[in-house]
Amino acid sequence: MVRATVVGSYPRVDDSFDGQRLRRAIARREKGEISREELRTAEVSVVQEVVREQSELGVDVATDGQVTWHDALSHFAAKLDGFEITGLVRYFDTNTYYRQPRRIGSVRWRGAITVDDWKAAAAASPVPVKAVVTGPYTLAELSANGSGRDAVRELAVALGQEVRALVAAGARHVQIDEPALVHSKALPRGYAEAADLLLAGKGSAETSLFTYFGGVAPILRDLLELPFDVLGLDLVQGSDTLAALRTVDANRGVAFGLVDARNTKLEDSRRVAEQVLGFEDRVPLERSYVAPSNGLEYLPRGKAREKVRVLVAAAKAVREAL
Amino acid sequence: MALETTSVGSFPKPAYLKKARTQFEKGEIGARELDELGRRSTAAWIRFQEEIGIDVLVDGEQYRGDMVAYFAENLEGTTISGLVRSYGNRYYKKPVVVDELARPEPITVAWWRFAQGLTDRPVKGMLTGPYTMMDWSFNEYYPSREDCALAFAKVVRQEARDLVAAGAKVVQIDEPALSTREDELPLVVKALGEVTRDLDAKTITHTCYGNYERIYPAMLDLPVDQIDLEMSNSGLDLLALFRKHPFTKELAFGVIDVHSHVVETKPQVEERIRGALEVVPPERLWVDPDCGLKTRTPEEARDKLRAMVAARNAVRERLQA
Repeated sequence: MVRATVVGSYPRVDDSFDGQRLRRAIARREKGEISREELRTAEVSVVQEVVREQSELGVDVATDGQVTWHDALSHFAAKLDGFEITGLVRYFDTNTYYRQPRRIGSVRWRGAITVDDWKAAAAASPVPVKAVVTGPYTLAELSANGSGRDAVRELAVALGQEVRALVAAGARHVQIDEPALVHSKALPRGYAEAADLLLAGKGSAETSLFTYFGGVAPILRDLLELPFDVLGLDLVQGSDTLAALRTVDANRGVAFGLVDARNTKLEDSRRVAEQVLGFEDRVPLERSYVAPSNGLEYLPRGKAREKVRVLVAAAKAVREAL
Repeated sequence: MALETTSVGSFPKPAYLKKARTQFEKGEIGARELDELGRRSTAAWIRFQEEIGIDVLVDGEQYRGDMVAYFAENLEGTTISGLVRSYGNRYYKKPVVVDELARPEPITVAWWRFAQGLTDRPVKGMLTGPYTMMDWSFNEYYPSREDCALAFAKVVRQEARDLVAAGAKVVQIDEPALSTREDELPLVVKALGEVTRDLDAKTITHTCYGNYERIYPAMLDLPVDQIDLEMSNSGLDLLALFRKHPFTKELAFGVIDVHSHVVETKPQVEERIRGALEVVPPERLWVDPDCGLKTRTPEEARDKLRAMVAARNAVRERLQA
């Protein structure tokens, strides 16, 4: 059955006073006014709020909203051996910035990075919570001094231990984010091997590979050879992938990123459902998802909610049509 | 004249003005009171720039908040969104284009007139460019990014023409978003061209945080006389790029790091200017900070500008000797 999911991030504040408690807690922690534990309490309360909100809106597979992440790169690199964190760099074509990791030695996994947040989310969520891990290629490409096949392989081993830890903690869905793949004309050499290393400890969890901020038409066939159960596609900024998807027989589920997560204009859920149904003969829809085009944190909270309503309604319409 | 000094746009607001802006938002003071204080701090910044010997002045944007929201708020066809994260723990509200864009009346012209009335030196007209206005807004009305950018170009052009009609000799149209999507550089050129076409003034565009390696030398197609780049923050890598392919326009070279509290020393700034002179002749080189100085304290901003002018003077003397 087609399900509704999100891609990862979810707005961590809203315009109300209470809705900005995490923002205030971080500011107060920076001034030394509250303890690490008090900040953690605020973080957990927002993680649990966003996961409940997603399930109330009808999302079938939620995420922790990445509400404790500064950004998708430094959140992992800061806790791996082999990186230092440097200055701000623009994140793809967004008007946001990430703290750039710089590779300074061998990369090694020291211990769980995202497991506590996943557990906090899962404890509060009536629906399954998908764990999200930034992929080895994106982490290597967006770091300084650290790209190339060997770096990707080393990162795949380290992040594979994170995947193993998430599955051991109980995660049944694991998403790997590789937005940097949208700039590739060909699948990076050695990526298939890296994917095997990354997923070595996945057990029976459902795995997905997500790309966004553009299309993947030139590498779509290669992506469908990789050992992931679901392929997540940005079909808004990457609308050119739609045509490519019509030429393949997808042997796995697709997360149809048809709801624009970078603009507030609302889609018509029936139109989204029609687009998904158009792939009935190409994609096994019973293993697929309706999703936003990328993480929802580029939208204000209220609009993010409305976008989720659209994709939930679209998923429902697809199920009814089938 | 060679090596003119200027500023990118914003200066810090003094404590009394910050307080007044908060009071105004709460409805505790009126617009007239706020404007009066805005004029006081604008006048102080004009005086300061003259005193230390800056050649081309700015009004310091004491009456503006966010560079995109300020214009959007003064246009028809826009609303303002809820909070969106910028990065880290910073949040801002984005404009939302919900209807056809129109400019009911001039936005910056009265402030420009006021500032220019205080000095004989040229004061730049300062605008946010159409591509950046589009890229940093949500668009619920226009069918495409191009349509939206060109609609912004129409209203920014009206403002630019009104500034020139009021007497502005230099108009700067900032496009900090210009390097975010290299495939859209032609759209930046087209939209900015709508603003600068037949404009009887020297035109400048400022940009920052760019991945210039990917858009240079195509960037030289921008339809302006001068491109203003931040350089001290991104290192001097760009100079290597300009050595490979000559920079053919006027270059305003950022020699002051606006993100650091540390005030540059005169020798540091001199070295940066000499670096720029290796790739652009002095008659095509201007000297300024990397970006607006509004995030520094007023004292830091003044000290940084003093260091900049002192270094420029030293380099100029050596050139003349």
